[in-house]
Amino acid sequence: MSAREQVLAAVRRAVQHSASHPGAHPAAPLDAGFGAFATSLAEAGGEAHGPFAPGALGAAVLAHARSWSAGGRIVAEPDAAAWLGPGPFEVAREDALPHDFADVAVAIARGVVGVAENGAVALCGREAPHRSLLFLAERVILLLDAAHIAGELGSAFRALPPGSLGFHHLTWISGPSKTADIEQTLVLGAHGPRALAVFARRE
Amino acid sequence: MGAGGSYGILPAVGFPFDARAAAAFADEAAVARHDAAVWGLRAKRDAAAAAVPDFEALRERAAAVKDHALDHLDVYLERFEANAQAAGAQVHWAEDAAALRAIASGLLAERGITRVVKSKSMLTEECGLNPHLEAHGVEVVDTDLGERIVQLGAEPPSHIIVPAIHRTRAQVGALFHHQLGTPAGESDPERLMAHARRDLRRRFLDAQAAISGVNFAIADTGSLVIVTNEGNADLGTSLAPLHIAALGIEKVVPTLDDAAVLLRLLARSATGQPISAYTSVLTGPRPGGELHVVLVDNGRSRLLASPRHRRALRCIRCGACLNTCPVYRRAGGHAYATAVGGPIGAVLAPAHGRDAASRELPYASSLCGSCTAVCPVRIDLHAQLLAWRSEAPALPSGLARAARAAAALLARPRLHRAAGRAVRIGWPLLRRIGARGPAAAWLAARELPPHPGASFRELWKRRPRERPR
Repeated sequence: MSAREQVLAAVRRAVQHSASHPGAHPAAPLDAGFGAFATSLAEAGGEAHGPFAPGALGAAVLAHARSWSAGGRIVAEPDAAAWLGPGPFEVAREDALPHDFADVAVAIARGVVGVAENGAVALCGREAPHRSLLFLAERVILLLDAAHIAGELGSAFRALPPGSLGFHHLTWISGPSKTADIEQTLVLGAHGPRALAVFARRE
Repeated sequence: MGAGGSYGILPAVGFPFDARAAAAFADEAAVARHDAAVWGLRAKRDAAAAAVPDFEALRERAAAVKDHALDHLDVYLERFEANAQAAGAQVHWAEDAAALRAIASGLLAERGITRVVKSKSMLTEECGLNPHLEAHGVEVVDTDLGERIVQLGAEPPSHIIVPAIHRTRAQVGALFHHQLGTPAGESDPERLMAHARRDLRRRFLDAQAAISGVNFAIADTGSLVIVTNEGNADLGTSLAPLHIAALGIEKVVPTLDDAAVLLRLLARSATGQPISAYTSVLTGPRPGGELHVVLVDNGRSRLLASPRHRRALRCIRCGACLNTCPVYRRAGGHAYATAVGGPIGAVLAPAHGRDAASRELPYASSLCGSCTAVCPVRIDLHAQLLAWRSEAPALPSGLARAARAAAALLARPRLHRAAGRAVRIGWPLLRRIGARGPAAAWLAARELPPHPGASFRELWKRRPRERPR
């Protein structure tokens, strides 16, 4: 008997198929505004800016990126670049390899949904295909449509565009990389980004 | 080196819990530090729970979701497997720890891989994966900072969320000085992290494979949900061409919505954060890479078959029961000598291992029920501990004799009364004998209560006679 059959047989002997599914959790509605999102993000060590009119977003983001980059590489995902317009940054090449971003100072990518209760933003492989860029960069800037903020995580999952799991990764990011493994002292920039800013756009 | 370094190294396994805890107690300052640190996590958990209006309803829902998933585990395992394969992952099954070790080392050997980065996985700790791979010539680098600290110190993690919580910054500084060449006396957490970051960044970029645990698996989509604060699992899996994910079979839930319920509870219960910094939902391998998922049983199906103990499989490894446990807080994780310590560890140990050491752990509890009160998936931990005591008795012989004597005494009212009188008369004598007699060890950490003056019977007779109005 293969290990698969052995494990499944043991599981089948153990279960009764009687405990019913409780259905979706009717979550208590929470404030889904940009202000609530910004507060949660600040608590997670990140910063929220905006919301900006579409025409003003690019300039604000690039000014921030330049101040963060100290002359280092600024790399934007193509989808984010389309939101920014032209500027002094690289656009990530479709055929770039994960290791190509090892020396990036600032990464810019667009998120699809934000969560007010925890400051997280969903990055999907469709808009942010270069996953390593989000973690190798010293600092990260995420773009977000201010209208696409959900109150709590459950409704945020349901607000994802259809097919969002079809692109290898869907990553919820709440603030910069962090650790408190040495005497519970919070240190930002554990392995990944040391800082994270979300720039929101309004229609 | 403080108590953290002198006990709890793996060879301590085999000594009873009491002896390992006593070793920890020898450093009273370290005990107080540990107690304060984990109790701080408990306080943060309470604040985070209070900030969510429907937190208790979420706990109910989470328990029901897990009960449903576990009671249909065969269905969801097969569904997960089919959907993961459809997304391009390869799925392996491991009936026990040895099978996981063999699959992992086989995958690495076939590809000639010798450099591996690993993110936190209690399952691989449980299965002894690191020593096995190292014995096969693979360099395994733990990348979670806490895990890296205990790896450099050649000791097991002492907490499932904060593996090096038993270490002071000075101890970490000394360890890094010897192992990573940081300046002597450097103990600033930020600068120590910076050194570890530089060292580990190089290893992330150089790794040929990443091994990770899995927080939840989604049957409907074949996805893996992996949660970290440091981003170490993400760096590992986004860079290395091969990702091996070790997945306990109890981690499969039906849908992403179900995972959302559990995710809203996980970080709040663990560290008091509303969510961890990174929650990655991975479906299939990264472009140009390989994903191998190993579904591991290792005693879980046995637990599933027990109506009484099945609910222990609801556990989402948040650590809340450790942080609140008066025994864990003082004794520390190393006293348990298992991959998972604290109340949940003491519940899982007798299910996984049949040795005396794991049967003894359910006694490492005051049954106060604080663990049950904080568990996000409502496992009745203190009732589980009590049940294991009756199912797998491992009472030290002295305690067993005392229990038999008490049973005999309580069954004979006249004898019980006489014994009570004798104790009240002989009270001062008892204090002196106690310090040397057979109960000396028990009394060493306990004060006899003040003399009651009279028995309960006498007090009852003397009670005022009028009835309450």
